[in-house]
Amino acid sequence: MSDSYLNERSAKDWKKSHKHGAGEWLAERGTSLILLPLTLWAVWSGYQLAGQGVDAALAFAKTPLNAGLIAAIFVVSGWHMFMGLKVIVDDYIGKDGTRGFLNLLNLLFCLAVTGAALYALFLLVRS
Amino acid sequence: MTQSPTPPKAAYRPLSPHLQIWRFHMTMFASIVHRITGVATIAGLLMGVAWLWALALGPQAYTCFLTCASSPLGLVVWMGVSLAGFIHLTGGIRHLIWDLGYMFEPKKADTLAAITFWGAIILTVILWVALFSTGKVQVML
Ligand code: HEM
Repeated sequence: MSDSYLNERSAKDWKKSHKHGAGEWLAERGTSLILLPLTLWAVWSGYQLAGQGVDAALAFAKTPLNAGLIAAIFVVSGWHMFMGLKVIVDDYIGKDGTRGFLNLLNLLFCLAVTGAALYALFLLVRS
Repeated sequence: MTQSPTPPKAAYRPLSPHLQIWRFHMTMFASIVHRITGVATIAGLLMGVAWLWALALGPQAYTCFLTCASSPLGLVVWMGVSLAGFIHLTGGIRHLIWDLGYMFEPKKADTLAAITFWGAIILTVILWVALFSTGKVQVML
């Protein structure tokens, strides 16, 4: 098979991502590596708190280490979720304008989720 | 680029996968499922946000949260989220193993995909059996 036509063009005009991409690749792996222990910890904590009332939950969330881990989980998963959803949008949406718009919504959504979590955490730790 | 090159007459063009005759295989399934469960796990994240807000707003809000969370519908949603989360999590481990260069040969890749998929289902079952058998979660009708 001859790819000469492809080769002629690809290096110059198509391969716009040859200078970046490694960063995203590492970030995706980095966030999953960090989320792995964090989500297991979250499941374990949820298991422990299940069936208990507000006092136990509040005491749990106010402990500095737990509060820190909760904050970390929301920061890292917000980032992970943004990258994950962006890949989906980039995969399925071909039109530049629509894609840009959806990725903007994606960014706002992920920032809102992380922001809402951190703000609530801030309020309850101070309460 | 000012002018598009004229394509040669018989340029080689790769075909996109033809969806109707695409043979089912394990890693294809795993890939689709990883995407679906990634999106579904977002629901779990949102439930985490709801939990934090309920805590921040005080005991009344928290009681409301617990009532919803322990209702039959709430439990079904928690179960779904835990299943999706576990499948996504073990799928993530699979991706990390592949990224390190291990188990990438087709047969081994299939085996790994099957192990991580069924492993997640087993973990979910263990979690819920433990939750119910210890009385931490009860069905209130
Ligand atoms: C807070 C929980 C999590 C959420 C909300 C979440 C969400 C997502 C979403 C929406 C995607 C996009 C799916 C796609 O592009 O096909 C994704 C991809 C991914 N997730 Fe997660 N995820 C979470 C936790 C994890 C954990 C704990 C791991 C690792 C153990 C992980 C590993 C991955 C990997 C490796 C990908 C990229 C797959 C690829 O390259 O196609 N995720 N995630």
